[in-house]
Amino acid sequence: MKRKGLGFYLRIYGKILAQDIKSKMSYRADFIISTIGMIFTNISGFISFWILFRSFPGINGWGYYEMLFLYGFSLVALTPVQCLFDNNWSLRMNVYSGDFIKYCFRPINLFFYYQSEVFDIKGLGQLAFGLGTLIYSWTKIGLGFTPLILLKMIVFLITASLVMVAMQNAAAATCFWIQNSFYILDLVTRFKDYAKYPITIFSPVFRFIFTFLMPIAFIAYYPSLVVLRPDSVPLLSWLSPLIAVGFFWLSYKFWMHGAMKYNGTGS
Amino acid sequence: MSAIIEIRNVTKEFRVLNRREGLRGSIKDLFSRDYKTVRAVDNISMSIQQGEIVGYLGPNGAGKSTTIKMMTGVLEPTSGEILIGGNVPYTNRTRNAQEIGVVFGQRSQLWWALPLIESFRLLKDIYMIGDKQYDSMLELYRSLVDIEPLLHKPVRQMSLGQRTLSDILAAFLHDPKIVFLDEPTIGLDVSMKAKIRTLISALNKEKNTTVILTTHDMGDVDALCQRIVIIDKGKMLYDNDIEHLKGFFGSYRTLKLRIDGDMKASAESIQKELPEFSVSADDEWISVLVDEEKAKVIDVLGKLQSSYRIKDMQLEEISTEEVIKKIYEEGVA
Repeated sequence: MKRKGLGFYLRIYGKILAQDIKSKMSYRADFIISTIGMIFTNISGFISFWILFRSFPGINGWGYYEMLFLYGFSLVALTPVQCLFDNNWSLRMNVYSGDFIKYCFRPINLFFYYQSEVFDIKGLGQLAFGLGTLIYSWTKIGLGFTPLILLKMIVFLITASLVMVAMQNAAAATCFWIQNSFYILDLVTRFKDYAKYPITIFSPVFRFIFTFLMPIAFIAYYPSLVVLRPDSVPLLSWLSPLIAVGFFWLSYKFWMHGAMKYNGTGS
Repeated sequence: MSAIIEIRNVTKEFRVLNRREGLRGSIKDLFSRDYKTVRAVDNISMSIQQGEIVGYLGPNGAGKSTTIKMMTGVLEPTSGEILIGGNVPYTNRTRNAQEIGVVFGQRSQLWWALPLIESFRLLKDIYMIGDKQYDSMLELYRSLVDIEPLLHKPVRQMSLGQRTLSDILAAFLHDPKIVFLDEPTIGLDVSMKAKIRTLISALNKEKNTTVILTTHDMGDVDALCQRIVIIDKGKMLYDNDIEHLKGFFGSYRTLKLRIDGDMKASAESIQKELPEFSVSADDEWISVLVDEEKAKVIDVLGKLQSSYRIKDMQLEEISTEEVIKKIYEEGVA
């Protein structure tokens, strides 16, 4: 049998994606309503952010536009987890009901097959909004535009996304061992809301937690330092791509380990 | 020819928590967990040739699903050996998946939102089916069932029957060596059942695919299986062809009678006269299950004719259903 490499998976993913979007578009009302809903969610998030920063011109040496930058950065970084890995939310239901077994019979990677099934198009609104915020704050801060800085942005956005995806994978995979993993998944999702703040505003205890235990500081803070404060980048920022890849790999192994020991329900 | 499925002395044990009763018991369970080992499958061996249709039967909880899961690579046997086309399914799960097709009666494996034809195209890519093979398979499907109305319908809008049909077609699409069908006709109406049986039989003949069929519907067994395997409580009870099975109980015939007067009362008095046979009655017929080793049907009939006015009679061979029921209840004596 031919080996199935990256090209194979990308092609399959592309096709599933195209089909999925096509079928979602056919439910027009649903599509429009959920898009509007997503826009309002983002606008209300932004308004509360804006109100907060009208009262405080800066927090711990972070100005308004820098905070806005962090906010936009986290929105963009959270798009992949929203769009591509949304099926993690259904995992516990699938496992509990026994439907998960149907994913076990295909000659392709189980993790890939499972995640490819759902593409959450609503995340695209978030992406547009995040990009807008990012570009706006970028010009206001006057960061300039060089190929190097663009490269940095791309690398560190991927880093940030991987961290969030890894956290969600690990949280979702707990359902292979415990009955109701919803709370864990929910907890992780709630924590990501803190990702848009500079970690220095928290107390040392939380700084430690957000860096090493629940590494949300890697979603926006550490990576964006590379662009925002190029003169004083901590070592953790430079290491963050490696940490992210390692963390993602671990979460994937954890997920697969759970899936392989899964044995379904009676039928 | 070597066997496509080779199962040797396979046992599967599960560790299950001994749950204590009541709330106090549950709290105790939290602290001291008391496990017991349950043997779901106990020392099973069989070998199945390419192209066979095997009915895999047993009451609920007999260990059928566990065996299927081991053959498909989802579960690892506790001991023993399973080879599917020469592969160990559990350690080569993806390679095994390429060689098999699986259908679970009520769990569709197709993409819920997609029309069937798009699901087929995705499967074509996933299983790396060549264009030629794909086209000829679709051609074959067209000749066997009326798939045109199904092709452009999203799976979620299909009826259960259409969905099962689609699932079966999808399972055969990559021309696997073995297809596992787990209760494919469950919940379907009579005509859909017949359609699905014809389809399975035709695909088996055309492609020489081995089919492992678990079912509780003896109609499926009669229509499809040359060979049946029966397990109960994890142990293999029977593995042979279906004719042989009937031979076990071949000496049994059901004599059905219609008698003037009150049928229920007559049935009771007949039972008294013939204590060695079981007698039952419904609104139309009185049935006497006659063991021909003990008495000839004709003698029984003669005996009854002297004391009752028989209006009508029928003689029935024992059905597969009754045979299986007897095996579940009494075992193969």
